[in-house]
Amino acid sequence: MRTSRFLYAAGKAVAVMAILFWSLFPILFIVVSSLKPGQDIFAVPPKYLFTPTLRHYGELWRSWGVFFEGLLNSTLVTAGATALAIIASTCAGYVYSRHSSRFLDAGIVGLIVVRLIPPIVVTLPLFPIVNAFRLNDTHLVLIVLYATFFVSLGTVLMRTFIDQVPRDLDEAAEIDGASRMTILWRIIVPLAAPGILAVAVFVVVYSWNEFLFAFIFTATRAKTAPLVISEMIGSIDGVDWGILFAASTVQLIPVLLFVVFMNRYLVAGLTAGATKG
Amino acid sequence: MRSKGTALILPLLAPVHILILSVIVLPSLYVVWLSLSTSTFGQAPSFVGLQNYVRVLADPAFHSALLNTVVLVVIAVHVEMALGLGMALLFASGLPFRRFLIVAVLAPYAVSEVTAVVMWRFLFDPDAGPVTLALRAFHLPTLDWSFEPSHAMTLIGLLTIWLHLPFTFIIIYAARLAIPNELYEAARVDGATRWQAFRRVTLPLLGPAIVIALLFRYIFAFRLFSEAWLLTKGGPARSTEVVAIYLYQEAFSFNAFGTAAATAWIMVLASLALAAVYVLILRGKVGANAH
Repeated sequence: MRTSRFLYAAGKAVAVMAILFWSLFPILFIVVSSLKPGQDIFAVPPKYLFTPTLRHYGELWRSWGVFFEGLLNSTLVTAGATALAIIASTCAGYVYSRHSSRFLDAGIVGLIVVRLIPPIVVTLPLFPIVNAFRLNDTHLVLIVLYATFFVSLGTVLMRTFIDQVPRDLDEAAEIDGASRMTILWRIIVPLAAPGILAVAVFVVVYSWNEFLFAFIFTATRAKTAPLVISEMIGSIDGVDWGILFAASTVQLIPVLLFVVFMNRYLVAGLTAGATKG
Repeated sequence: MRSKGTALILPLLAPVHILILSVIVLPSLYVVWLSLSTSTFGQAPSFVGLQNYVRVLADPAFHSALLNTVVLVVIAVHVEMALGLGMALLFASGLPFRRFLIVAVLAPYAVSEVTAVVMWRFLFDPDAGPVTLALRAFHLPTLDWSFEPSHAMTLIGLLTIWLHLPFTFIIIYAARLAIPNELYEAARVDGATRWQAFRRVTLPLLGPAIVIALLFRYIFAFRLFSEAWLLTKGGPARSTEVVAIYLYQEAFSFNAFGTAAATAWIMVLASLALAAVYVLILRGKVGANAH
């Protein structure tokens, strides 16, 4: 009996180690490798003890200035898309939570269905339109695209979170003569803040990391960081792994920290988003 | 009163619905028209009926892309579900440092496809990749993903599982936590073994969550583009193309917007068919709760 309990505990420990290794090893590996002196990256067997150096970061700074422009573009696009998605989703989520009609019920089903249309589909008609309006290679296109592909989930999420704010509060404020915008801003927004943060996590991660739209709709001025990294992979057949690891690390760390700090909201958003309709 | 109410809520609904209509719904409907026309970029489309669909469905390159996609979806999504389910049960059985472990499991969610490709390309680098070296040390077969299409697809599958396991895990784990402990106590009192408790309590109650997670992942894996594009660009010789890459190539490399649009609608219809199942399940669940 005691040995079987010991085996059970040992099995669990091994499983946990395997899970940690699977999830974290690839991430730690590129972060650590970005600090390795050039020849150590290709050492066989891999070297885990070495003198860390920031040389690759220096080279990245000198020879890939465009990467840092990409980071700036990513920041602008992410901020814009997140603000737009949050404002639009909160307003619509409020209506869907507080009102009900056949029209609105159909609207919610529509929002769920729209979320399932593959983004690549809309690139076909949008590509010529965006070109015609000379909007290609602008931040605006990416902001609108990224926000739009998350406002459906955002609205459904905000409705779920606003449903948990007692209606009595709105009604009391209404009797006191508060306008709808005041109610939304003073009562709903503070109390449904976890929902807003959940939407923010989704949109920030998506906008910061997205590749397909950036690949199709940007060329130079609005090129985002993931696109620059993809060019680094492609352009160099003798891939300069040191610089590539440094760039990947710089791109990854901010969003990784964001997800770590916001993990509760991410979990709440994932569960509410998948099961509530 | 009623019209006043409508006038007041419309401005709040407008942003979301204008965005969705103008960026997703109308363009998708325009794709229907495109798919029924011949058109190359910059040329006026002319109506050709279902010709584009016939052409796509008869194209060996499409067959190969569809086969790759279906195999990838079926294998990767189910392996991912098995892993996610196993992890959810492990976490639910009680672990120390649970919060830290959950954050660790969520970490890949933050990683972009591009960065993930950098990681996995190097891990499986034929000369210096640590995974390749480890496999070689144990005399196990390594992945020649840059030459061998099936190996490349395996790597794409691994990558996509790694990126999306956090989603599957969280959905299943949340559903598992929602099962009341009394059910397990009752099962134990009735003399059920661990396996019986799993078969008779856990699995049936996790059923809806499993189906929902699977449907989401089928739909999202079916549109997979970036991982495959960044790893192989569909090559060598179009052998690792998936449907989304086929679409991209038709539209942006071969300028064949008509067949690209037909491919797009085939993707939409496949996704909507799966979505219909999802909506029906949600409806069923809501209905069951009401009774």
